[in-house]
Amino acid sequence: MYDLQKLLWDVRKDLDLAQRFRADPDTVLDEYGIAGTERTAMRSLDFKTLYDRGANPYLLYFCALQIGVDRTEYYARLRGEIS
Amino acid sequence: MGQDMGQIVGAFTASHSPGITGFPERAEPAQRAAVEGAFADVRNRITELRPDAIIAVSVEHFTNFFLGNLPAFAIGTAGSYLGPVTAEMGAFLGVDQHDYPGHAALGAHLYRHALESEFDPALVEGGLAFDENFCVPLKHLDPDSTIPLVPVIVNGVNPPWPTAKRCYDFGRMIRSAVEAQTAAQRVVVLGTGGLSHWVGMPESGTINEDFDRDFLDRLASGDPRRLTDYTQDQIDVAGNGAHEIRTWLVAAGAAGVAFDTLVYEPVPAWLTGTAVTAARL
Repeated sequence: MYDLQKLLWDVRKDLDLAQRFRADPDTVLDEYGIAGTERTAMRSLDFKTLYDRGANPYLLYFCALQIGVDRTEYYARLRGEIS
Repeated sequence: MGQDMGQIVGAFTASHSPGITGFPERAEPAQRAAVEGAFADVRNRITELRPDAIIAVSVEHFTNFFLGNLPAFAIGTAGSYLGPVTAEMGAFLGVDQHDYPGHAALGAHLYRHALESEFDPALVEGGLAFDENFCVPLKHLDPDSTIPLVPVIVNGVNPPWPTAKRCYDFGRMIRSAVEAQTAAQRVVVLGTGGLSHWVGMPESGTINEDFDRDFLDRLASGDPRRLTDYTQDQIDVAGNGAHEIRTWLVAAGAAGVAFDTLVYEPVPAWLTGTAVTAARL
């Protein structure tokens, strides 16, 4: 979970990384060594799964905003209303 | 205490919801007016107190610190602080990005005094940037950023957290530090954050008014035993953002007296139980 949270934090602080993640998520996920359930969830913006697995909600929310997911969509995804 | 030793001349607490400055118009007009009126009241009181420095206590929302090195407490000793951290955040908060003056001598003294008092905060000599933690309340309380600051950061964003008692005792240590130096003779303490709110969680938008009013009642009692009688679970019922009340407990410990609630408004549009209080000093 540390690697995933590091990605969330770095994305929030680095707009270039955020844009690279949107354009080519697999390369970025490889760079951060993120695999398995967390990789699948991050790739599909399944914030509910990441939240349920213990991702810090501040980091999750700030990352979502930075990659262009607006507040309404973030909370809809978090509540499992969009998947 | 000698005539020239420092003293805490005022202590205040306030919420720091981005909505207060970033989108005030979304609140009910009466609520907005009440909150802004309380901030104006505190601004006037601070002006009358003519402080040499403000010890400003808040959390920070992963703006500087991360899970690779997350202090439970940190003390800033810099001469200036950038805020908000980015121009984008400035636009969101309605605060132009600028440098806030730091009171380096008081910061360095506070850090040393903390260690000598058997507290072990992180030292931040520079590079600390502000987010809504200080930029939102200071836009109302010191709009021209003229009063030098000593920022104190308490972890309120990632569990496990420092206990309520530890926060209160940290505040008591701040008071003894202020009274043991002469670099800043008139010091105001400001705690910011809370009250109930949920950030990035499914419950976001909920306000736990019962929790908020009970907390303000404890603050008004000035009773340290009641103020520190919180488990982590008991704060969790008011959201992850409610853990920011630790900053108010630090301010309460520093003041050592009861606090009057100047305003309390549950403001759904700001996602936050919003309050401003003043110590009976």
